[in-house]
Amino acid sequence: MTEMQGIIAGAMLTLALGIYIFWPENAPASQSEKSRLDYLLERKEQLYENLRDLTFEYRAGKYPEEDFVAQRSLLENETALLIKEIERVERTRPGRIALRAR
Amino acid sequence: MAAFGSFALLLALALAAYNLFAGTAALRLLASGRPARISADRLADTARRAGIASFVAVTAAAVALAWSALTNDFTITYIAEHSNRALPAPYKFAALWSGQEGSLLLWAWLLGGYGFILRLTHETEVKLYAYAGTILAAVEVFFLAVVNFAAPPFSLLKGAIPDDGNGLNPLLQYPEMVIHPPLLYLGYVGFTIPFAFALGALMMRYPGETWIKVTRRWTLVSWLFLTLGIVVGMHWAYGVLGWGGYWGWDPVENASLMPWLTGTAFLHSVVMQERKGMMKSWNIWLIFATFMLSILGTLLTRGGLVSSVHAFAQSSLGTWFMVFLAIVLAVCVLTYIFKRNHLKSEQRIESLVSRESSFLFNNLVLLTACFVILWGTLFPILSEFVEGSKITVGAPFFDRVAVPIGIFLLFLTGVGPLLPWRAASLQAIRRNFLLPALAVWATVIGGITAGVQPWQDGAFDIGRLYALVAFALAAGVLTAILSEFLRGARVIVRQTSCNLFAAIYLLIRRNTRRYGGYCVHIGVVVAMIGLAGAAFNRSMESELALHDRMGIGPYTLENAGGSQDTNTNYNSESVLLDVYRGGKRVFQVAPERRTYLASDQPQTMAAIHSGPGGDLYVIYEGTDSDTGHPIIKALLNPLVGWIWTGLVFIVFGTLVALTPGLRPIAATVRMPAVRTAPAEAALKGGD
Amino acid sequence: MATPLRFTSWAKALQAIALVVAVTLSMGTSNDSGRVYDLSHRLMCTCGCAQMLGECNQMGCAESARAKAELTAAIASGKTDRQILDTFAAKYGATVLAAPTTKGFDLVAWIAPVAVFAAALMGTILLVRRWSVGRTQLPAEPANPEIDALREQIRRETEAGIEGGF
Repeated sequence: MTEMQGIIAGAMLTLALGIYIFWPENAPASQSEKSRLDYLLERKEQLYENLRDLTFEYRAGKYPEEDFVAQRSLLENETALLIKEIERVERTRPGRIALRAR
Repeated sequence: MAAFGSFALLLALALAAYNLFAGTAALRLLASGRPARISADRLADTARRAGIASFVAVTAAAVALAWSALTNDFTITYIAEHSNRALPAPYKFAALWSGQEGSLLLWAWLLGGYGFILRLTHETEVKLYAYAGTILAAVEVFFLAVVNFAAPPFSLLKGAIPDDGNGLNPLLQYPEMVIHPPLLYLGYVGFTIPFAFALGALMMRYPGETWIKVTRRWTLVSWLFLTLGIVVGMHWAYGVLGWGGYWGWDPVENASLMPWLTGTAFLHSVVMQERKGMMKSWNIWLIFATFMLSILGTLLTRGGLVSSVHAFAQSSLGTWFMVFLAIVLAVCVLTYIFKRNHLKSEQRIESLVSRESSFLFNNLVLLTACFVILWGTLFPILSEFVEGSKITVGAPFFDRVAVPIGIFLLFLTGVGPLLPWRAASLQAIRRNFLLPALAVWATVIGGITAGVQPWQDGAFDIGRLYALVAFALAAGVLTAILSEFLRGARVIVRQTSCNLFAAIYLLIRRNTRRYGGYCVHIGVVVAMIGLAGAAFNRSMESELALHDRMGIGPYTLENAGGSQDTNTNYNSESVLLDVYRGGKRVFQVAPERRTYLASDQPQTMAAIHSGPGGDLYVIYEGTDSDTGHPIIKALLNPLVGWIWTGLVFIVFGTLVALTPGLRPIAATVRMPAVRTAPAEAALKGGD
Repeated sequence: MATPLRFTSWAKALQAIALVVAVTLSMGTSNDSGRVYDLSHRLMCTCGCAQMLGECNQMGCAESARAKAELTAAIASGKTDRQILDTFAAKYGATVLAAPTTKGFDLVAWIAPVAVFAAALMGTILLVRRWSVGRTQLPAEPANPEIDALREQIRRETEAGIEGGF
């Protein structure tokens, strides 16, 4: 490839990439904020996961009975409070309105 | 081709810069919420596309360089210096990363590749990806600036164009060498992605921990590549450097180990954040450190700061990397200071003896190891600064300091998974630790009776003591891991009444990350056994005339003559050695010496015979200057194969951890049909 | 509730480990047969290969052959390890020693890793202990029927069929 050919190939590459970048896109993905509700639901999912895991490990024999009961109680309490909050948020804001979490 | 390549690199830089500036502008616009003449979303999208386009341009440049290498275009300085006509095609291709400029181009290309995937999958979490993509673009701008201005791979040769090139360094003409650098770079470069996500999440005050879930695969993939790169490099050193070892604590080896250690720490402690919202600041700094250590590694390799067998030619690149590192550090520190109130922990640790605190100790040990290696690597510079004289900090230092740390780490590998979350009661500990402790003591007793005493010929031998401790701990850890598998599987057997193997399979499917992680632990333990086995290596050196014999371990080697060969790439000379065991000839080895024609450099090719009893490793060291007889060095490395076997487990385990696990379906939709359904369906009923 | 394992037993275990490490670190090999091997792995090769003397096999490395011969001669002349290392260091410069000595500033090289490890260990233990002081006990708040109902629901959803699934 001569120098000239190289420059022509480069120019064509530039053109093609330029067209790709600035090609009018009618609906670019929009950057919505994550809502407080989304966040709470994620947390709930994680707490459920932790509870399931705890139950499984207990059944696998890794926890003595009383440890298990205490731990489960703590986690359940935490989750219950969380669910109450989720219900409250859902009541006050029907539909998912963008809202800054925390 | 050179013109096209240079142009493509410049274009790539311009596009990455556009991505950085347009992306930043769009994010600022969105954050301020002010109306603007152009839509911020639209602007952000052009930035993202510019990032994708930048990758296409770097690809074009990389193809141009590879093409120039394959077509022997010696007008380009880089090709003339790192290739020659007789070089086999795969090695010509490998010339891409055998020199400074090419390897930086490879780095930029891989970075672009990771960014390409990131930018294509942006719809997962548009805003977070926009932040990560923009931060990534900043790193791309730096590397592209380096290949454009500081180490241009397409610069033209001044003066007459040579007929043939200088050829590739003989040390690099080895199959592993073709894959070792790309693997290592894939690892180093890959850590940029979790870094970009972590920094982005902090900048935007990302609510929750989902960004960790998003980056988990990236981190695991990078970690896997780094691990593969390191071990393949060890295998290359073992096969090529011809001293029978695989790790010399060379600064460049150390440089690859440091981000591996912090990356491993991150992989562990991030579980705490995901599960319990703890250790947020710590994790952020771990991933920052991992990224900065990869850059530091590059700085050490290329800046001529430390002497090393790997080092590239000294150049001004050190300054570039130093400045970049300083900028990265400043950005990290400032972002952290301004946004740190976002990183409050939601929970605390409740007991010194719990899974949580075992993660802390794991991190402590990994980071101490990292510090020790960094310290040892940089101490010569420090000493020169303080004392005015350079000293060497070599293998004896690292062996003494790092081996105890490694043993402690092995201990934690066994302890961690056995501890329950939150707090362990004495009862739980007794129950979970009984079997592993038995295994440890059984191995100690078994080892001593089998001859693995910490003393030899009446003298205390520290290497053998370490080996014994390592073997015992390894047995304990393996028992602990296997009991974890069995315990879990038994629960499944009880509830689905499938057989044990099906239960283990289901168990792994159910929580791929945990059980994949355990597989990785098995691999690490197996590799540790191999490393500890170095205490039992034996070596023997002897001058062997025709039909002379030497003995090592169970083998007797006899010189059965020599042979010579020549091809377009090198001349070779080898000694044929018949190997006898118990009076019977079992196989023949032919250690070789090569002289490469293009570079006129000699190279030993060790002959390695792997058997169940270990590796017989034979080197043809040269000929005696008086008698002309060949000098043969033979080593018997009994457990070295375990290291490579361990890697297989590590790769398998990481791949398991990368596969998505079965999702539990909400219990409320569980149907009575579950009872009759196949085990796998039943499995989804709970976790 | 069973007593959680406390600090003391851990401290004992750690002490034991520290003792073993300290003892083993302070020992070295002392058998005569492998002295050449041993010493050649405590010295660097001077040919610029950045490898240890015992492991340098660069082709045509005249340096390593000469240095090895020198080493063998020194051992034959009855010098101690220390004397031999000192002679080499005097002749080739301090960089010929593969590891820092235990004198002067070099000692810092050895102390720092141990010090950092000890400090980090103490720090972690103190941190965990400080955190665990406020250990949460069983929730003792007054019975709240709403919360209890929720807890009941949560338990159903996460225990999900002891008999059917798991």
